[in-house]
Amino acid sequence: MSRKLSLILTLGVVAAMLLGALPGAAQERVKITWFVGLGTGTNEQQIEVQNRIVEEFNASQDKIELVINIAASNQTAPDILSTLIASGDAPDIVGPVGFSGSNAFAGQWLDLAPLIEATGYDLGQFPENLVESYRSLDGEQLLGLPFAVFPGVLYYNVGLFDEAGLNYPPTEAGVPYVMPDGTEVPWDYNTVVEIGKILTVDSNGYDATMPEFDPTKTIQFGFIHQWDTLRSDFHTFGANYVVDAEGKVHIWDNWREEARWLWDAVWVHHIHPSDSWISSDLLLGNAFNSGNVAMARSMLWYTCCLSDAPAWDLAVQPAYNGTIYAPIDMDTFRIHKDTKHPEEAFTVLTYLLGDAALELLTVYGGYPARPELQDAAIQAKAEAYPSVQNWDVVARSIEYAPVPHHEEWYPNFNKGQTRFQDFLTLLRSDGGGEIDLEAELDRLEADLQAIVDEVQ
Amino acid sequence: MTEQVATLGESASVKRTRRTRTLEQQQRLWGWIFLSPWLIGFLVFTLFPMAASLYLSFTDFTIGQPPNWVGLKNWENLFKDPVTYNSLRVTFRFAIIMLPVAILVPLGLASLLNSKYLAGKRVFRALFYMPYIIPAISGIFIWQSFLNGQTGLLNRLLRLAGIADPPDWLFSPTWIHPAMVLIGLWGVGNAMLTMLAGMQGVPTEYYEAATVDGAGPLMRFRHITLPMISPVILYNLVLTVIGLMQYFVVPWVLSNTTRSNPETNFINLHLYREGFQFFHMGYASALAWFLFIIGLILTLIVLYSSRRWVYYSSGE
Repeated sequence: MSRKLSLILTLGVVAAMLLGALPGAAQERVKITWFVGLGTGTNEQQIEVQNRIVEEFNASQDKIELVINIAASNQTAPDILSTLIASGDAPDIVGPVGFSGSNAFAGQWLDLAPLIEATGYDLGQFPENLVESYRSLDGEQLLGLPFAVFPGVLYYNVGLFDEAGLNYPPTEAGVPYVMPDGTEVPWDYNTVVEIGKILTVDSNGYDATMPEFDPTKTIQFGFIHQWDTLRSDFHTFGANYVVDAEGKVHIWDNWREEARWLWDAVWVHHIHPSDSWISSDLLLGNAFNSGNVAMARSMLWYTCCLSDAPAWDLAVQPAYNGTIYAPIDMDTFRIHKDTKHPEEAFTVLTYLLGDAALELLTVYGGYPARPELQDAAIQAKAEAYPSVQNWDVVARSIEYAPVPHHEEWYPNFNKGQTRFQDFLTLLRSDGGGEIDLEAELDRLEADLQAIVDEVQ
Repeated sequence: MTEQVATLGESASVKRTRRTRTLEQQQRLWGWIFLSPWLIGFLVFTLFPMAASLYLSFTDFTIGQPPNWVGLKNWENLFKDPVTYNSLRVTFRFAIIMLPVAILVPLGLASLLNSKYLAGKRVFRALFYMPYIIPAISGIFIWQSFLNGQTGLLNRLLRLAGIADPPDWLFSPTWIHPAMVLIGLWGVGNAMLTMLAGMQGVPTEYYEAATVDGAGPLMRFRHITLPMISPVILYNLVLTVIGLMQYFVVPWVLSNTTRSNPETNFINLHLYREGFQFFHMGYASALAWFLFIIGLILTLIVLYSSRRWVYYSSGE
């Protein structure tokens, strides 16, 4: 090749590159990235639906190109997201993500209030209390919009109740539980212990009310806080802030009472499996679904991991001191504060919360925050689980959600949450029966104070 | 004419020198070219991150925020943090149990495999080595099932043997470390092979001479085998010490699948959590350097002590 020809070719390439770089030279669409994995959204079926929704959105657009990035699992997702943020390549939209996942990245989310005002987006389509739960602690910023709610409910195994000759738990607050002898008692955590003992059985056929019962040979448990966190357990006995306005950490009296109840349930009444039992071949890490646990307190998202057999149904969660406190989980999509295209990201967000919502909610197992979609969501669930009769419990349980939320943010949140879980491990692990519970609760409080003080 | 010859001779000499230098330079160049993939990898993926982490250890760097210089604050916090002390206690407690096991068990297995009386040596060698090549995560899951306190095979066997209340291996603060040692035993195949290779390199005349002098098997092992393979033992000791300081995968998998447990919070796991779960990247960098310094000191102690117990037949 001659030198002259090479020069011409080089100049041609440079000119093409310069022209390409000029603004408006190419009709390129704005690229908006959507990161999935901090919460649900990583299983095969969900991936398929999410990809289709992205395709449909892109087909309807000439200004925005939506690109989805799905993590392999929600265990690896935090690492991937933190790497993306640290390398200055943060995604524009992250979700679905719950409070805990969002709080793990506190300070990273965009205030939506200016975009809502600029676009005239109608907040009236959501219940006001759900919108307010997305406000920052100072109330000045709106960091998310309601999408999916997962009310706290009680799952019960119909067959195990029938076998024990027990009535089913109530489906409304204030309705008493009818014991086998016909007496009516309040539907509370004391009653859970009473019927839980009848439903806890060993391999010799004795239940936990009998002196012959051998807890080392248990083959069926009465109750479990299914896939819980300590803070959600605490909040079943009433909600409160971990850190008060003066920066002081509290393990409140009702939380201490809940810890005592749980400790008794595991080590005295044996109705709740220890961690060792939970991971055993009997319960297979998914205790209620194993068919060997009669009642499970959890949220609606647990339907993700339930089969239709053995038959199960829903009831309201038990009360504490006459009031039901049913911790609720809420998922939504967040916009990252460093997005270069906030308007376009908001357009995508409103699409996910709007046109795509029902399809996404169905595949995520979520209950819609928008009332107009709720009937359709229940219809989809009813088709998936024909044995379940009491779907009305779901809507009702939203009212029992305690405030503040059990995943409410506090300083040094991630480290504090780990300390909370360490306590739960201690309580339910081998040797947990010998701990000085009050002393350990005091130690938890002191450690949390030190953790909070680290960053204050 | 003579001058011309002399000039030609000088010229030839200069050309030869030039050619020689060019060859040297070429060889050097190719040497660098062949070394460059490793060198570039070392610079980009080891040296630069190390230098960066040293800088970050003096900052308050966290995800999404630019790092601010905080001087020695992270290092002060490190010495005040009770979790750091606990994780060091956990690491050293485990190391005290694991270190002798990680040396003595492969040594014993290698001695067995080196015995002339053992039939099917190749089969045993393959069997003992095989667990080493099984992916760690899969192995840990199998061990979790095996060690489960309620339904695990080990406790079923112990109950059959008359132990009514066997330990809850994975959930007991007392038994979790012995359980991890058991899991760690699965990976001794590599150390066993190196020790076996060392034993097979010991000249047989030494044993013959010792036998003639009346030395029994234990004396031969103590006074011939051990000194002769002491460099291999040193090599495994150094690797084990460094490995213990970096112990991560087993506690990480266990704490993810069986809940967090303070007794599995090893120093390396503490570092990971501070950096990648709590996003205290500056503090985690200080912890990483702290861990590096501890590992370096322990390695230097082992190497220094080796002057007293390692025998090099070649002189050094």
